Amino acid sequence: MTVYKYFIKIALRNKGIILGYTIMLLVFALIYGGTGSEKIVNFEETRLNIGVINHSNGELSNTLVEYLGKNNNIVGTKEDEDFIKNQIFLQAANAVIIIPEDFEEKVINKEQSIEIFRDDRKVETYQTQNQINKFISFANATYGKGDFDLSNVINALDNSVDVNFVKTSNGANQDINRWFKFYYNFVSYVILAIYIAVIGFVMNDFTHMEIENRRKVSSKKFLNYNQEIYLGQMSIAIFITSILILGSVIIRGSQLSEVHFSKYVLNTLVFSFSALCLVFLINNITNNKFFITGMSTILSLGTSFISGVMVPQEFLGERVLKIAKFFPTYYFVAINNKDIVSLLDVRYEIFMQLLFGLGFLLIGLYFSKVKQKS
Amino acid sequence: MSRLIRNCIYLGKNTLRDKTFFFWSILYPILMAIFFYTAFSGIVNQEFEPVDLGVSPDSYFVSIFEEIEILNVHEITEEEANEKLLSDEIYGYVDNDLNLTVKESGLNQTIIKQILDQIVQVGGLNVPVEQVDMMVDYTISNNQNADTLIIIFYTLIAMVSTYGVFTGIETVSLIQANLSEIGKRMNIAPLRKSDFIISGLVGGFIMNVISNTLLLLFMHFILKLNLFTEFKYSMLFILLGNLFGLSLGMMIGSSNKKSTNVKTLIAVAVTLFLSFLSGMMSPDIKIILDEKIPILAKVNPISVITDNLYKINLLGITDDIYEGLGAISIYIIVLNLISYGFLRRKSYDSI
Repeated sequence: MTVYKYFIKIALRNKGIILGYTIMLLVFALIYGGTGSEKIVNFEETRLNIGVINHSNGELSNTLVEYLGKNNNIVGTKEDEDFIKNQIFLQAANAVIIIPEDFEEKVINKEQSIEIFRDDRKVETYQTQNQINKFISFANATYGKGDFDLSNVINALDNSVDVNFVKTSNGANQDINRWFKFYYNFVSYVILAIYIAVIGFVMNDFTHMEIENRRKVSSKKFLNYNQEIYLGQMSIAIFITSILILGSVIIRGSQLSEVHFSKYVLNTLVFSFSALCLVFLINNITNNKFFITGMSTILSLGTSFISGVMVPQEFLGERVLKIAKFFPTYYFVAINNKDIVSLLDVRYEIFMQLLFGLGFLLIGLYFSKVKQKS
Repeated sequence: MSRLIRNCIYLGKNTLRDKTFFFWSILYPILMAIFFYTAFSGIVNQEFEPVDLGVSPDSYFVSIFEEIEILNVHEITEEEANEKLLSDEIYGYVDNDLNLTVKESGLNQTIIKQILDQIVQVGGLNVPVEQVDMMVDYTISNNQNADTLIIIFYTLIAMVSTYGVFTGIETVSLIQANLSEIGKRMNIAPLRKSDFIISGLVGGFIMNVISNTLLLLFMHFILKLNLFTEFKYSMLFILLGNLFGLSLGMMIGSSNKKSTNVKTLIAVAVTLFLSFLSGMMSPDIKIILDEKIPILAKVNPISVITDNLYKINLLGITDDIYEGLGAISIYIIVLNLISYGFLRRKSYDSI
């Protein structure tokens, strides 16, 4: 097993690549996890940071600020457009409102009265505008005899409907599922990038002319040599895929029972097989390290962008998706995004990935034969 | 001076023939721009579609929902609703008591909830419904002219501006006797290494600025993206990005004895990771990081360039650019000092 031993040894010399991509995935997952988990229990409007400049200081404006403060965090600000823009850019505030001196008069006359700076990057900031308009409309509706019935307004605004989550037939919790979808979609990017780079680099060393010549004159049978090489490739692939699967178990281990975890594991294993076959193809086309580095970055990022890893598939154009269907990543992402009852529901996508693997393998074998002849 | 120009020309030619430069500095950024454009144009051109809502056929509120423009009402039973919710045909289901059932949290579900809340709240106000005029907008919008997706392209420009890193690595390798054949010759020839380094940096700087210009022209004329409103300050950051890249390349090139391929990979990994933190893979990452670890945007040089390009061009803020310029300048000085430390008075007992 000398070949196998050295294959593993050289592969682990590239631990920097494995570590780098894995850390990127875990950082990404942890950041995403922080926001995703908040949505699991509650169905609440997001609490935003709102800056308020109140020139009116009347009962109406003070109650409005109080109402906004109930659903949001009120943060300090300054009446300076550049300062406000900067504050919103840095996300110290998501919206800033300026209440004019003649606020009550304008409200009674149904005129535009509150100047609002919103952060377009956060769609939730529309809710601030809605809250303001709702409060004022309600206040205006209670206006009579020169006064607003603000306690009635606040009581009315406290009402809200109950929200229930539909029970899925497989018992999966959709909000937890969302995190797993995200994590495993990103795994496809990492698998492709690491496999191509690490296995490609090792193969580059093994296919070096001097090494090749030494192998040819040695007593080692070509079949045995190849077997050990492929065993080495598989061992490295299994090692990398296991780390990535383990990552999700470490971060969200307690929630595995709430999602169809076997779907994600099976999908990742099948995708790993097809990625390994792709690496086999690439290695038979070239053993140029420069080309391998380029392919690792371009193929992993490119297929991720067009297959729905970075941007959800529903936002991608039809033409883009048609191109994406020529890569296994598309089917991998499709399975992750699918709500299933049994694993049979994803048989088509699994089959497609296996077919791609087989295709890569056959083309790789063809190139290998051509190389041997030459 | 003539020696400097001559060396610049030689090294420039060398860079042009170098496939690493051609791939990473010219082809790769253009491919990335195409990927971003292809993937994100769907979001940019997305049209708002009515939200599909399931309502119990006996509900008193059906007619009210039907009058709301942004809702597409489906009168269905609770059993049908479960199926349609799971298959994403509807985003929410409202029963006779105005209870909402959803599959998951999301924007469309929030819109439905807000409408339902409003109906309940109007009821709780105890005034005639006609008195509540919800059609009036009391706000004057002064929105931040912000576009999340543009961040991605600014990040790409910022990342590519640092791609002088490859020339930096190459230049340093050329003068080190333990790393290249030319380095061996250089070390025994009566040539000043400092001249060669300066020529390499000047040549690399010019070549990378040309490659940046190609990318900007591609974005402007082919992808039709208008990214710059304030050209002068934007260029200042792009040029500083180039100097930063060269300095980083020199540091990576001089600090270890690994092969140029490995050093290139380290450079790609470092710039890609910093770009990832700046929101290149997903704008949400930047938004979340800015919220949770705001200091990161101030210390990550690619973030500094991205943020400043964004502020200068989209928000028209140019007052505080000096903070960003200063931060990158400090990086350049520190990296060059480290490289100097690695390169100075280097002699070899054996190679």
